[in-house]
Amino acid sequence: SDTKTIRLAHGLDVSHPVHKAMFKMGEDVETLSDGTLKMEIYPNQQLGTEREVVELLQIGSLDMTKVSGATLENFAPKIAVLGLPYLFRDRDHAFSVFDGPIGQELLDDAQQYWLKGLCFYDAGSRSFYTKDKSVEHPNDLKGKKIRVMESVTAMNMVSSMGGAPTPISWGELYTALQQGVVDGAENNPPSFYLSRHYEVCKYYSLNEHTFTPDILIASTHFWNTLSEEEQGWMKMAIENSVSYQRKLWAEAEAEALAAVEKAGVTVTRPSKEAFSKTTVNMLEELRDNEELYALIQRIKAE
Amino acid sequence: MEYVPILVLILSFVGLLAIGTPVAWSIAISSLLTMLVSVPAFPAFTTVSQRMATGLDSFALLAIPFFILSGELMNKGGIAHRLIAFAKTLVGAFPGGLALINVISAMLMGAIAGSAMASASAMGSILGPEMEKEGYDREFGAAVNITSATTGLIIPPSNILIVYSLASGGASIAALFLAGYIPGILTGLFLMIVASFWAKKKGYNVGERSSLKAIAKTFVDAVPSLFLLVLVIGGIVAGIFTATEASAIAVLYSLVLGFIYKEISFKKLPEILLSSSATTAIVMLLIGASMSMSWVLSFENIPQDISTGLLGITDNKIMILLIINVILLLVGIFMDMTPAVLIFTPIFLPVVTKLGLDPVHFGIIMILNLCIGLCTPPVGSVLFVGVGIAKTTIEKVVRPLVPLFVAMVVALFIVTYLPQLSLWLPSLFDL
Amino acid sequence: MKTRKKIDKTLEITLIVIMSVMVLNVLWQVFSRYVLNSPSSFTDELARYLMIWVGVLGAAYVSGRNMHVAIDVLPKRIGGKTQKQLEQVVRVAIVLFCFFGMVLGGSRLVYITYLLGQYSPALQLPLAFVYMVIPASGLVIMYYKISDIRKKL
Ligand code: NA
Ligand code: NA
Repeated sequence: SDTKTIRLAHGLDVSHPVHKAMFKMGEDVETLSDGTLKMEIYPNQQLGTEREVVELLQIGSLDMTKVSGATLENFAPKIAVLGLPYLFRDRDHAFSVFDGPIGQELLDDAQQYWLKGLCFYDAGSRSFYTKDKSVEHPNDLKGKKIRVMESVTAMNMVSSMGGAPTPISWGELYTALQQGVVDGAENNPPSFYLSRHYEVCKYYSLNEHTFTPDILIASTHFWNTLSEEEQGWMKMAIENSVSYQRKLWAEAEAEALAAVEKAGVTVTRPSKEAFSKTTVNMLEELRDNEELYALIQRIKAE
Repeated sequence: MEYVPILVLILSFVGLLAIGTPVAWSIAISSLLTMLVSVPAFPAFTTVSQRMATGLDSFALLAIPFFILSGELMNKGGIAHRLIAFAKTLVGAFPGGLALINVISAMLMGAIAGSAMASASAMGSILGPEMEKEGYDREFGAAVNITSATTGLIIPPSNILIVYSLASGGASIAALFLAGYIPGILTGLFLMIVASFWAKKKGYNVGERSSLKAIAKTFVDAVPSLFLLVLVIGGIVAGIFTATEASAIAVLYSLVLGFIYKEISFKKLPEILLSSSATTAIVMLLIGASMSMSWVLSFENIPQDISTGLLGITDNKIMILLIINVILLLVGIFMDMTPAVLIFTPIFLPVVTKLGLDPVHFGIIMILNLCIGLCTPPVGSVLFVGVGIAKTTIEKVVRPLVPLFVAMVVALFIVTYLPQLSLWLPSLFDL
Repeated sequence: MKTRKKIDKTLEITLIVIMSVMVLNVLWQVFSRYVLNSPSSFTDELARYLMIWVGVLGAAYVSGRNMHVAIDVLPKRIGGKTQKQLEQVVRVAIVLFCFFGMVLGGSRLVYITYLLGQYSPALQLPLAFVYMVIPASGLVIMYYKISDIRKKL
């Protein structure tokens, strides 16, 4: 038969907006191609963690995945720029960069690492949540142990704000928060809600330090086996899924915030100015890396 | 449904086992052969390598080598000896006293660590030799150790319940933890009853009743050793370290105590480190290989195909729960717990919630069920640890395991059909 | 025989060192966070990579000692010459797996991660270095098993 099965693996739950958007993309591709392209989605880390699945794309045993920009930066270093704190003024600024020439440039940059960048999905913005006191100002982070992802950028950010960045694996975090091994963590509203960390952390301060997006990528081994027509169908389905995902994400975010507030979490919106001031140096330190620094300036000018 | 991959998998796996290939290699080889059905050769070779290595890429797994190591240090350093002398004056006069001690300690350990493998390795290396000295069959001791170690996965804290919460799309972890106490203790009690009967039947040594004075003396001797428990539990509760880190603290403490008791010297250390790494490696190769197999199972959608077929049979609640339990028992025979939870939660949870089951209750059912699988050959990580530590073989351990399995299955069915056992405690806290 | 002893000894020393570093590393993690109040950024990652090394290198060590768990009910029941032949078949199967899976597959994994420059998040260590243990261990196991096969011929 002439049907091709596209295998897409990712680490999210099936209720997550990104999964739903990719599921729709799969349906669209099947319709557009008249059933000659089929998409098989493996959710929930069934086939590995984000890092491992990207590696499997390079190895050639899987076709597609979605990863956080934070994971992809270890494969395609330029992506790191998107994870810098207070790089974007707001969500519209972030979207205009993702959708514009800079976004396309970053997606294309991954090609040399055997990864075909396809689109950006909204992963909202990350903010601090803590156990015993809300974070209204960087001073409130002094001496506080904040769990961060294992990423140099994330660690630098928390320490320049005055906190003590503590890498703890996601699976151990709930108990670590409960027992006070760390005082807080940072994530976007749906993750804060779905991870149930709000049961332990009663303060969520929406300081929105980063807008790191999720990125849909394909293995170049796989992408190059597609005909131009097939690539066209894929691109069309992907484009549709982006706007659909942004709508779903906005709903999920509102839902998550309402739900945690109902569960007794104090949600605050501190002024971002003091926070962003502490990270200015961090961006300046990248001056030596000319390519990255130029990129930062272009994004800021956008 | 694709029949080729599943046939290749089953035939090669069973064939390799039958000719006496070590289990880990049988798993690895059959996974690779199955992968070759749908993945080109070079990517398949590479994927097997990657899965075996990344299967070990987990901080929580560290508890295994550390508890193996601290168990060995406790053994050689005179800690275990003092603990057991004390416990013997307490329950030594009951039939199967040491086996009861094993179950109780495993439940205590379970309340400290989130890993059954850690518990099996610690208890096995401390109590195993003692049981043999008292005339217990080595295999019986190993069987009790293996099954009782799994109670620690249901008694909180438990990493696997956290995994379940994630896979279920957000069942409350606090509620899951509270829900685990009664089913975990219940299972432990059932295991104790069976162990006691078995010991009585075999006529194992029953000790004399000890005087209060003897109890007091052994207690004082055991205080520094008992302090390890206080240190570990206290440290976790006070938020000084995580459950995994606690295993490293246990290594440090037992090493220091061993030096103070002058039963361990620097000269002996390399030997202890080496034998612990060898025991660790036996387990790790099995885990790595199992991760390859889980990958290829998921890749070929084999679990989903099986359950769709079986669930097409009925829509009666009692029957469906029975079928799900049977499927999970079968899954547990061949698959490790974490991948099984990740794969089957999204498949079964929608079915059972439609029937009115609470996701928290279902989580306890699922984990308790897969606990049995952890102890069954051919793929069972706790079984491997227990057998490795007791230096015996899987086929010898199977006989004494059978009655203990029966106890666990009975506990499983009680927990399945009496939701209050799981849901009562969480309901007290409005969870 | 002498080579085999040397390999054994090298593996033993490596395993002992890695195991000790693993313990010290996690103790340092607790100390730096709780006592120094400046949590270390690399210990979690280092611990996990050492775990991979202990597991995969240890598998080679254990293979040399024939300590891996097997269910050998059937071969034992058959006994005699057939049992010996089956044992040889098992060794050949392991050698083949180690060659294709661990040595070829592992080398390709090292090659890809090296060529595409994947680095670990915290230590900025090339992943190729972490994965190198797989083909290395595969070669050692092949050596052990082939020497066993030749001994039994
Ligand atoms: Na536990
Ligand atoms: Na099993």
